[in-house]
Amino acid sequence: MSAPENPAPAGAPPAGKPPEKKPPAPSTVGDVLKGSDIQVGGKYIGWSVRDEVRKEGGSGGLVTSILAGALEKGLVEHVVVLKKSSQYEAVPVLTSDVEDVYASAGSMHMLISNPTKYLRQFQNDATIALAVKPCDMRGIREQQKRNMIDLDKIFTIGLNCGGTMMPYKIRKVTEEVYGVNPDDVRAEEIEKGKLILETTDGEHHAQSIDELEEEDNGRRENCRYCVVKIATNADLACGNWGVMPDYAGKGTFVEVMTEKGAEFLRNAIDGGYAELKVASEPAAEARGKVNSIMLKMSAKTKEEVFVPMQSQTMTDLKKELENCIGCGACRTVCPPCACGTEAKCTAFNDPVDNYDISLFHMIRFLHLMDSCVGCGQCSDVCPADIPLARLYRKFANPMQDELNYVTGMDDRTPPFFEIKLEEVQ
Amino acid sequence: MSEVKTTAASSCASSGEFVPKIVMFCCNWCSYAGADGAGVSRFQQPSNVRVVRVMCSSRVDPVHIYTAFLEGADAVLITGCHIGDCHYVNGNDKTLVKYKFIKSMLNEMGMEDDRLMLRWISASEGQQFAEFVTEMVEKVKALGPSPLRKDGVV
Ligand code: FES
Repeated sequence: MSAPENPAPAGAPPAGKPPEKKPPAPSTVGDVLKGSDIQVGGKYIGWSVRDEVRKEGGSGGLVTSILAGALEKGLVEHVVVLKKSSQYEAVPVLTSDVEDVYASAGSMHMLISNPTKYLRQFQNDATIALAVKPCDMRGIREQQKRNMIDLDKIFTIGLNCGGTMMPYKIRKVTEEVYGVNPDDVRAEEIEKGKLILETTDGEHHAQSIDELEEEDNGRRENCRYCVVKIATNADLACGNWGVMPDYAGKGTFVEVMTEKGAEFLRNAIDGGYAELKVASEPAAEARGKVNSIMLKMSAKTKEEVFVPMQSQTMTDLKKELENCIGCGACRTVCPPCACGTEAKCTAFNDPVDNYDISLFHMIRFLHLMDSCVGCGQCSDVCPADIPLARLYRKFANPMQDELNYVTGMDDRTPPFFEIKLEEVQ
Repeated sequence: MSEVKTTAASSCASSGEFVPKIVMFCCNWCSYAGADGAGVSRFQQPSNVRVVRVMCSSRVDPVHIYTAFLEGADAVLITGCHIGDCHYVNGNDKTLVKYKFIKSMLNEMGMEDDRLMLRWISASEGQQFAEFVTEMVEKVKALGPSPLRKDGVV
């Protein structure tokens, strides 16, 4: 869709690389750190101590080793890992077997599921660690604000995310654009704005993501206008943005966001799972730069998508929703939706009423005005292909902008429930 | 309810001109008494409004407002006690928050601004009540039928 003139990275985690610096600055300063050196707010570059994790895991396997360390040392009872059923699909699985954690190493950009609702089923009985995208964590935080998830029992490692892709679309382009049998694909990576597929014969096939997106085959639409790319709302914010060429593919940039994050990182170091060094100034700068480039692109797409929607009339809206079959799947997957089985949107919605816009949608549009995190799962699951994410955002954007409320990024009460008692006197 | 409906329907049929249907939620303690006052003092006001009495303006849920519109109301008016006078401490503050959200949502949907209105009217303000109703009926008459109303609904 959008074709940025900028040759800079597009798509999910591109390898951070400052274009004009030569020779490139080193990623790190000083020596390997001891556990006690880790501080909240610190920025580090880390990697796994185990060779096979480094080889399998993306960018040095730091995340895998922190999760494995937390599980083996008993900091958490379970870890949510992704079990790949193919290169295009993975399902979240709850495990306490450290081998499963090691087996899940590696990056995946075709993952569209958001584990928030999945997590809600278990969180009251166990302590769980998991790696999250920014929107996953935003959903988890929104659930926590509604007393549905206890954050004390969850440890999260946030991963930088430039966007995810729809599995079936990538499968299609693998065949049609790449000219490769989809079942031969062994691994995928995004680098410098290109989606690279590695086939079983060891060959690499690359296509520009911008070109894929022109045909709407690249990142999902909601990812293209998403405004949170670094998961600073999690306990640790990890990713390969900010890793200079000297550590490219070998190290992960990590920022410690909470005391809990520091504790888990210390555990990984002291337990002999990971090694860390302090990130250098240029590395941190490079990370911020990638982030701001991504955000600029998002802002542009946001305009392209939503400015034309402002002139939409009620008739257009009715038309968009006219195919709804009332299955409720959009609500089931919705991360901030906290009501459970009996909810206002379903209890008062009677298909017999036969309204042009059902009460279900009217209420959901309203409820999501302050709480939509823009994960886009509603559009993904809709059997009638209604562009729901776009519609929810259409209502949410003006409200969230006006209230200056970035859903799921802080502990503010959801504005719909915010009453100012001072005004009463 | 039924007799009100017949009046509206018959006046519509007889003259052929658009007769707006307006649903009005009145808080029991202030605006409902205000409506009473308007009647007792015999202030003239159009008869297009169906009053629903609620204990507090904060009892008005978004569901009520949406149902009113979907069932064919051309405008919905909410009235309550003045800020600070709510008989349940801060009920009308909550109304205000909800109103802001619903208003913004209806605007995004392509509804005109005047179709949903919130006004604080106290028990002694019978005249203001009558004026508010008159004013709204005029405005809605100019706007025409609500775009959310289903075709064929009278
Ligand atoms: S009692 Fe009148 S608004 Fe609450």
